[in-house]
Amino acid sequence: MVYSKKSPALFVIGLIMLAIWYLGDSGMMNGYIEHLGGKKYKYLGEITSLPLYFGLISAAFGLLQWLGPQKEGDWDYFTSAIAGAMFILIIAMLVRWFVAPEIAVWSKAMGKVGDTGKYIHKLLGLNYIVIGIVAGIIIVNVFKVPHWAENGVRLSRLGLKTGVILLGTLYSAAELKNLGGLSIIMIGFFVLGSVGMVLWLGARRNIPNSMGGVLSAGMGVCGVSATVASAPVVQAKSVEIAYTIGTILLWGVGCMFLFPIIGQLLGMSYVQFGAWAGTGILNSAQVAGAALAFQPDGIETLKVAEIFNITRVLILPIIVLWLAVWYVKREQTGEAVNVGRVIIDKFPLFVLGFILLFALSTTGIFSPPVHYKGKYFDNTKVKPKNMMTDEQIATLTANADKVQRADQKAALARLIEGRKIASIEDDATVRGLVNSRVMGKESGAILKKAHKAVRWTAPKIKAFRKWITWLFAFGLVGLGMQITISSMKQAGGQPAIIGGIVGFTKAALSLVVVMMFIKETI
Amino acid sequence: MPEDFERGSSLSLFKSDRLEDILALAFALIIATAVYFTYE
Repeated sequence: MVYSKKSPALFVIGLIMLAIWYLGDSGMMNGYIEHLGGKKYKYLGEITSLPLYFGLISAAFGLLQWLGPQKEGDWDYFTSAIAGAMFILIIAMLVRWFVAPEIAVWSKAMGKVGDTGKYIHKLLGLNYIVIGIVAGIIIVNVFKVPHWAENGVRLSRLGLKTGVILLGTLYSAAELKNLGGLSIIMIGFFVLGSVGMVLWLGARRNIPNSMGGVLSAGMGVCGVSATVASAPVVQAKSVEIAYTIGTILLWGVGCMFLFPIIGQLLGMSYVQFGAWAGTGILNSAQVAGAALAFQPDGIETLKVAEIFNITRVLILPIIVLWLAVWYVKREQTGEAVNVGRVIIDKFPLFVLGFILLFALSTTGIFSPPVHYKGKYFDNTKVKPKNMMTDEQIATLTANADKVQRADQKAALARLIEGRKIASIEDDATVRGLVNSRVMGKESGAILKKAHKAVRWTAPKIKAFRKWITWLFAFGLVGLGMQITISSMKQAGGQPAIIGGIVGFTKAALSLVVVMMFIKETI
Repeated sequence: MPEDFERGSSLSLFKSDRLEDILALAFALIIATAVYFTYE
């Protein structure tokens, strides 16, 4: 069978990509870029390079497939996927460069939400991930996936797997040293407990094993990455993956508003609230939103919540292993299951890849070992132009009396004396001072600059983040293209109900544990 | 999307999950090596 289609589609996609590149590179798009954020718009570099490369590839293969000879075989089978892959890629490009920024413009025009300090598109997670899936769903249900693109859409999972492996580079085991034994036990207990509870409830409410499996990883670990990583192990369908992501995001939106209110009512400490939010809420942006809503004048809560959030990701390989064995046992009723055999046969190699890159990242070959998603503190290489000027020192000194907290006063004094932030602890304190806005706008801007002067992003990690973003965007647009309305009806409302029950139980139990056992240290 | 394909499955172009995993691992390692040598 010949798989490549005699269609001009791939050639046309190539021409559209080249047109985008030309408009961006020649400056003809400048007016629109200005509307999308002007200097803050960060995708111009991508627009002036990626569509050129992929446009040329598409145009060349497009011409070959459209006008060239066709011959059955592996070459024909695998190159026939290029058309679908480029179809997904051009949609991912449009979503990332134009649709998501346009939504951000609307969201910013509406102002920040309450005390969270965040815009609505951030809180609702309306980023390229969600928009990409929705774009895919609209295409398949309104227009249908064109026949020439069907083969390529099946490459989306390969993109997601590659993205999950590279995700390992963003984390470092050095973060774990900040955690005490109790915290590790607590995180482990709630992650494993949530997974177990979803699986148990799923079996009782008769949802498919694949749905229960993928929902358990999403509800237990942390949203999108865990869902994507566990999906192949339990043979999850695209609609089940999308349902899980939707359930997690919806649950998080509710928590983000409720958690800070409950925290204030119970008089929780920063550490207690950080531990609770980091355990009970799943999406990283939503965890940060809740922590900042609870403590707008400092980042102690945020820091604790972030550490809990990271640690959950590191339990991912254990969950995948568990689900691999669980799924085979559930699907092979009546037969004895050889656990060792299942692990060897079913454990996904790409999760081992994630562990491998996480281990490499921990050694510090991509970034200094103590980093969080590639960002790290270093005050030894502050450029002279970023040291504070006499004028800035005078402004800070004049406003220093407005600071009430002793730790903030001390950090400010050290900053004024040394003209740069003295330590990583002081950096966290200064960030809190900026958030509190007690020193006024001008001083706030100076402190923000001082903070930026000691924060660095490792170029390698920055590059990895770009790769991960593109691989996930590619994979999720393709995933959306596999979700039909009928498959959504088939999945029904059970996942949301189970997600709600498990989420509520976890939030309530972790609140009790936090109130009883977590004191001022973690 | 058609449910059945003559080669691979409805979710993958490849004949087995393991083959897809190996390819993903190979791609990731190629990207990691390229990033390692390209950036400071």
